[in-house]
Amino acid sequence: MIKTYSLTKEYGGEKVLNLSELEIPKGELFGLIGNNGAGKTTFFSLLLDLIEATSGTVEINNIMVHQSEAWKPFISAFIDESYLIGYLTVEEYFYFLGSLRGKTQVEVDSWIKAYEPFFNGEILNQKKYLRDFSKGNQKKVGIVGALIGQPEVIVLDEPFANLDPTTQIRLKSLIKEEAMNNGTTFLISSHDLTHVTEVCDRIVLLDKGTVLKDIKKTSSTLKELEQYFSN
Amino acid sequence: MAYIFRESLGLSKKKFFRAPQWELKLAVRILIGFLALYFLVAFLFLGIGLFFILRKEFPEQDPVSIVNQWIIFYFGADILARYFLQNPPVTDVKALLILPIPKERIIRGVLLRSLSSIFNWFSVLLLLPFCIVLSIENGVTFSVWSWFFAMLLLTGTNNFLGFLINKNKNVAIGTLLFLAGGYVLEYYMKVPVISSIGIGFEALYIEPLWITVILMFFLAVLKLTAIFLKKELYLDKGLSKKKEKIIGSNLFFLDRLGPLGGLLKNDIRLIIRNIRARQVVLATVFFLFYGLIFFTQEIYLERPGILIFAGIFITGGFTITFGQYIPAWDSEYYSMLMSQNLNYKKYLKSKLYLLMFSVVISMVLSLPYLYFGKKVMVLIIGCGIFNFGLGALISLFSGAYNATPLKLNVKAKAFENTKGFNLTQFIFAIPKLVLPVLVFYIPYFFLGFNAGIMGLITSGLGGFIFRNQILGWIEKIYQLKKYETLAAFNKQKI
Repeated sequence: MIKTYSLTKEYGGEKVLNLSELEIPKGELFGLIGNNGAGKTTFFSLLLDLIEATSGTVEINNIMVHQSEAWKPFISAFIDESYLIGYLTVEEYFYFLGSLRGKTQVEVDSWIKAYEPFFNGEILNQKKYLRDFSKGNQKKVGIVGALIGQPEVIVLDEPFANLDPTTQIRLKSLIKEEAMNNGTTFLISSHDLTHVTEVCDRIVLLDKGTVLKDIKKTSSTLKELEQYFSN
Repeated sequence: MAYIFRESLGLSKKKFFRAPQWELKLAVRILIGFLALYFLVAFLFLGIGLFFILRKEFPEQDPVSIVNQWIIFYFGADILARYFLQNPPVTDVKALLILPIPKERIIRGVLLRSLSSIFNWFSVLLLLPFCIVLSIENGVTFSVWSWFFAMLLLTGTNNFLGFLINKNKNVAIGTLLFLAGGYVLEYYMKVPVISSIGIGFEALYIEPLWITVILMFFLAVLKLTAIFLKKELYLDKGLSKKKEKIIGSNLFFLDRLGPLGGLLKNDIRLIIRNIRARQVVLATVFFLFYGLIFFTQEIYLERPGILIFAGIFITGGFTITFGQYIPAWDSEYYSMLMSQNLNYKKYLKSKLYLLMFSVVISMVLSLPYLYFGKKVMVLIIGCGIFNFGLGALISLFSGAYNATPLKLNVKAKAFENTKGFNLTQFIFAIPKLVLPVLVFYIPYFFLGFNAGIMGLITSGLGGFIFRNQILGWIEKIYQLKKYETLAAFNKQKI
């Protein structure tokens, strides 16, 4: 689904990302961890063609992201609050994203019903603009917005941060369900080792832009990672 | 207090020099600086000249008395200008609240800082030279200078009233109605409203002791403002964001256009729900009246080359004012648009349709210009077709080079309407205005008026027919500039 070839990114001569080869197959729950400055967001930005690679390429469905826009139907992302449109209501935001993916308002309305438990009654029919929502509630909207139209790949940067405990738990099962029912590929970065090891079946650990560990999850993964980070 | 002042000055300096395209901004700042300087100097000269003008026009009257008759309009205009342009420096005190600084001191700082506003300087620059000239010509009198200080106190009162009436449009409307009503009553119906107020000001001049009343008034307003601010100095009061009412939710007529409709709906909502966008669109309304300056004067009617400017502004006000900030309007969420299922072509097309639509609306609204004759109307329609087909495309093209982000829901400050404006835009404004004049003038020069209009219409239609090809070409530039634009837009979030 996603392949990178000798992908590097430099800022002022300093390499912030250096990935020799990385392949993420369809349907994988891919977890990305690493301390601040490890290159997680840089990787996501390269993947979404938001920054220019110093060398190398990213391919989504065999389309080079920097050469054509044909990859856009396959992927969606929620990186931070700037992915929301502050002057829209939640419903208008969802309708807008729906319209970009060929869904009518009626279709979006009936689709959204399945996510009401995740919203916990705080999101829909609120009669206020997205810019007036709290950070946590904005995040809920952004995450669900990224699911609209069932894209094949969904990128979530730090989805657990700012969420209340109940929503964190619901998010974990939501991601698993989406992956199981639709075969969605998830790329998730997180600082929360417990959550990420619980959700993902493959963990990649970045350090200063390079892959330090690339492991299939087992029962000992969490221990192993905790060990690494405590040193 | 001095420390806080110095610190915030240092922070704004850093903010400026670390902003994207700060070199261009610096150039613009210098231009704006000149503009402010121009106004200050203009007021200064008006202040110096006022005495001589009044003595020449009304030799038998005391200049101060004449000023007194009219000065209520100055203070009224002052209140209105403050309502529209002055932002009391209240919002940036949040960080001070939890520091060990007494609230009284924070409030004193806010009030003191507000006195440095440019609006207060206008009064000083206008009245100080006036009183100096008066003293030189007529000799120094106590009454002139006590009058001067009374006027300064009133300016200060206005300054603090600005806090009390901030965001309250009823006061602004009331002031406007009072001035207009007073003028009509006074000069058309002979009801002495304005002159009664004039007598009050005159009393200040004749009997300097009255200044104590003004002083008490000033102190009362000052105290009220301080009390008001103290009550508002909580996160859930004056420092909170007001909950807004949802407007423009019903735009279902655009649904038929699919994804394009979705984008257009966003743009319409952007315009009606964000302070910054509303301000810009309001300017468009003023552009509609631009023709009144030209069409009412005989000299211009003989020179259609100049009238083209009017026609371009009337029909293209929106393409110029709104168009120059494309794509900066979407700067707050540009990353999302770039990674969603939306290609550049579709995005640009929606913007083009919006601009073209605005030209049609402007043309309909300009129909009253028919009053000035068929020729004027033909000229406006010709300019409209040019803007519809080509002007909108030129605006989109220039937008590719504008990478200065825009904060949507923040008011532009007085003399600071420059965010998102840069020199490149300034340079692009030239073809936007000169091109239509050339397109008209060359055939006009050789073949006459109708040929000139045909020139405008054919180039407009040409742009319209080849819009997809031209758009494809513009799209390539946007693609090329994509990373640069994104980097600049994302900088504002930090």
